[in-house]
Amino acid sequence: MNATITRVFPFLLVVLGIYLWIGYSITELTGGGRRTSAAVDVSPEGGEAIYWGKGRCFTCHSVGGQGSAVRGPNHGQFGEKFPLPMGARAAERAKERSEKEGKDFTAVDYLVESLASPGAYVVNGYKNEMAVVYAPPISLSLKEIKAIVAYLMSLGGDLDMPAIDTTPAELTQAFYSKIAAAAEAGGGDPSAGAIVYEDNCSECHTLAEEGGEVGPALDGISAKGLKFISEAILQPTKIQTKGFETYVAVDKDGRQTIGLKTRDEGGEVDITKANGDVITIAKGDIKDIKIDDTKSVMPDDLSEAMTVKDYQDILSFLMLQKPKAAE
Amino acid sequence: MAQDSRRHGYAKWSLAGVLVVVFAMVASPALALEENVYRQFMGIDSRRLIWFLAQMHLFFGAFVLGVPLFAVIIEVVGWNNKDPKFDKLAYEFTSLLSVAYATTAALGGLLAFALFTLYPTFMGYMAGIFKDIMFLYALLFFGETFALYMYYYGWNWLKGGGLFSTQAQWFFKALSLIVAACGLAFLLGFIGPEMRVDTKWFILLLYILPLAIGFWIIRDRKSSHIFIGILLNIFGTAIMQLANSWAGFMMSPTGVDGDGAFVGTVWNAFENILATPIAIHRMLGNLAFGGLVAGAYAAVKFIGAKTPEEKAHYDWMGYISNFVAIAALIPLPFAGYYLGREVYSTSAVMGNNMMGGDFSWTFIIQAMLVGSLFVISNYYLWSGMTRIPGAQRYYKFIKYILLALIVSFAIWLTPHNLPLTSLEVGQMAGSQYHPVLKFLGLMPAKNAVVNLIILATFFSFLLYRRGNMVDAVSIRAQGKGAKFTIVIIGAAGIALVAQYAMTMLNMDPAELDLPADRAEYIRTIGYLLVFECVAGVIAIILALMDRGKLGQVLYLSVTAFNVTIFLGVYGFVVMEKASPVLRNVAVSQFLQLISCLVVVAVIDVFLFKRAKSLGEMQWGKMTVRSQYALLLLTFVITMNMGLMGFIRSGLRGDWHIFGVMRDTSEWAYTPSNFVMTQQVGGAVLLFMIGCAFMFWLGGIATKKTED
Repeated sequence: MNATITRVFPFLLVVLGIYLWIGYSITELTGGGRRTSAAVDVSPEGGEAIYWGKGRCFTCHSVGGQGSAVRGPNHGQFGEKFPLPMGARAAERAKERSEKEGKDFTAVDYLVESLASPGAYVVNGYKNEMAVVYAPPISLSLKEIKAIVAYLMSLGGDLDMPAIDTTPAELTQAFYSKIAAAAEAGGGDPSAGAIVYEDNCSECHTLAEEGGEVGPALDGISAKGLKFISEAILQPTKIQTKGFETYVAVDKDGRQTIGLKTRDEGGEVDITKANGDVITIAKGDIKDIKIDDTKSVMPDDLSEAMTVKDYQDILSFLMLQKPKAAE
Repeated sequence: MAQDSRRHGYAKWSLAGVLVVVFAMVASPALALEENVYRQFMGIDSRRLIWFLAQMHLFFGAFVLGVPLFAVIIEVVGWNNKDPKFDKLAYEFTSLLSVAYATTAALGGLLAFALFTLYPTFMGYMAGIFKDIMFLYALLFFGETFALYMYYYGWNWLKGGGLFSTQAQWFFKALSLIVAACGLAFLLGFIGPEMRVDTKWFILLLYILPLAIGFWIIRDRKSSHIFIGILLNIFGTAIMQLANSWAGFMMSPTGVDGDGAFVGTVWNAFENILATPIAIHRMLGNLAFGGLVAGAYAAVKFIGAKTPEEKAHYDWMGYISNFVAIAALIPLPFAGYYLGREVYSTSAVMGNNMMGGDFSWTFIIQAMLVGSLFVISNYYLWSGMTRIPGAQRYYKFIKYILLALIVSFAIWLTPHNLPLTSLEVGQMAGSQYHPVLKFLGLMPAKNAVVNLIILATFFSFLLYRRGNMVDAVSIRAQGKGAKFTIVIIGAAGIALVAQYAMTMLNMDPAELDLPADRAEYIRTIGYLLVFECVAGVIAIILALMDRGKLGQVLYLSVTAFNVTIFLGVYGFVVMEKASPVLRNVAVSQFLQLISCLVVVAVIDVFLFKRAKSLGEMQWGKMTVRSQYALLLLTFVITMNMGLMGFIRSGLRGDWHIFGVMRDTSEWAYTPSNFVMTQQVGGAVLLFMIGCAFMFWLGGIATKKTED
């Protein structure tokens, strides 16, 4: 046994040596470990650190010969497909965008839009699959996003720091507001939140005159604040909107009907249940009817059914539902 | 002495479990909202320390969980065929477990201490959410420990003896029927919480069904021993699944809000999106790993064997171990594909990082290792043909199989693109892709060659098992049993393909976010699957008409054409026109392949059952070179396991719990591939030293028993 082990272990060491050599060679070819960036300034240097670090932009993009990712457009000057580096290319793209939209886009507007709404104007030949960088897991702050824009503008463009940071144009400012609202809601993706809303909420709630009427309309809901919305989703019994209280009607046979009181006229009361069924009860048959603040027509298991991402996405979506006057 | 050591080990398992529970009791999920606290031990990089301990714990744990899976199956084979040789082999495999079990426990305790002391905030949060699961985890240790005690020490005690009384046998059969009925009710959704389909089938196939079978077979002391072995596996699998849920939660948390406050049920946290896909992948990985480590034991024993009898025994043991490993390796790439798909579904950022970000090159190393596993396994089978009289007839096929393997391996390794200089880009007309090789780097090409590698390996296996057999036997003459088995298994295989054909023929493109005019790309797959079903039916009919070989050739040819050539090429069309359908292409490839392999293997079993033999297998007449191949397989799978652990864990990036709790420590970065190979290589070396010790101790125990 001992003799065998002394024959086998050198063999193992050779195999491990090859394994180490492969690891070493690949690291030499592709670079070392990826360290998350520390806090950065709004500057091209800060943006570069975010680009190759926390922002994970390198996962899908390269800059000229730097990096090897090809999922998204190369941000440097690269071959015939990318004759201009990103800063100069942004100005060209902004011109095209202006013609199509009939609004004035600057290079900064274009870059900020591509980060705030990545699906708005996708480069031809690429899929609409860019991650929302201000949502988890990337979760860039507004300051970090400004730094990335500064970095991209510095790649062959006219770097205008006030336009990026302190005195942004109207369009850029609107996108910054969107990012800030989403970031406030835990950094969700409002576009994905719209889908979650459609799947889970629209059957009972109205938004922009569409949807069900079992629950209150959600136009302008952001005015009530993040805490209110969050509690309404996670603990619906805690928050009951006036006019949408949950009633419990008990008839003379002891049968309970729980839902919203949607009609009370003549000798009848309509109770609309959570599934939308309307139960009409004659007042004479009702033994007791009262508001029960321990029950809610709103499902109380949404927090269980939703993933963290769904929750963050829908919060960010609802936080964008501004009151009309504020728009 | 060895027994004391083992008992000490079992006590450690229990201690590890109790420790976890104690920590869980004092923890609260509210800690997630506090600032993370990190500590160090003697100035060591805490992350690398945890990484190392976790890796060592997983190496030993995988072996401890993998070996009983096939030890019990081998024992059943021996019991069923009344062949003591298999029983002795199963016992020898089990004897390897005791030291590994103790070491796993010691490492588990060390890992738990390290985690709770070095990452107190994170572990407090996890323990707060999973405290109920952790209690269950600790209790299962007792079950696992007692089952292993009884299984190993009760081996000889539970041998022999007469049948139990009829009443006792009926009692166990009644228990079996109750468990089966509960299983059916569980499957139909009458009992148990709502859950994912994969979790439901995992529980049904790995807990309920084995338990029902275990009760059903009890009729004497030996079958009771087998039942204990089944319980051992059930406890082991449950322990693994519970611990997996923690790893899965860290990647795909559910039931928590944006601030990390836990708002769901324990079940939500347990059954997170990635928990079951990881568990499936780990089960198969453990089986392959356990088989190959046991194979390494056999190889070391073979190399040091002094008598022909010893050589024969360890040659046979090595063959069985390799067979087990190949059986698990064949479905493993598909389980990996499923896991990868779920990772993408969880987070596109995590998915991109996996295949196109930090880990794209790590996956190339992984492809090298997995490809090597298949090539070396085939080499071992071909070497094994030298001990089979008459197998020379099939040597001529080996070069073609080797060619198919090498070409497939090369395609699998080809990246989509490489970092290029401006000059190189200029030479390729401004493109960063090679004009031809770029296609080989894409998923359709890789899926096609993975299927070809598996088919080639299966073909090697067929040649091996037919080595000394001539003149296929009439299936018609074998009675109803043979026909019934072929028809039932054939129908099950074809039904598996047919149900997916129906899904493809009826699927609304809108389900994949595709416009209606892309339906043709889905329907084509459906028609192809119908064609595959027809080929399967013809193969079965031919087998029943004593034209089994023709049936096998037909079915294998159609499947090879469908999964490698047709879908390999069509995959590119789908990728261009309807890329979401690509995953359906991969699923259809897997279903056709698995169904074909099972049906062809069953036909082969009856085709050559009691066929004329050209001579007995000459166990022990194997080259020493082949034993090094067996050892190399063990080294490669161990390195690969460490590498995959690095990827799975590293995918979270700088998050302890993805999207919920950020890693704010100084070690929050993705190490380079060189660091990974250093760390994993070190762990592999230490694990192998541990194995050498384990083999030595196991050898002493076996010798003592023989004396």
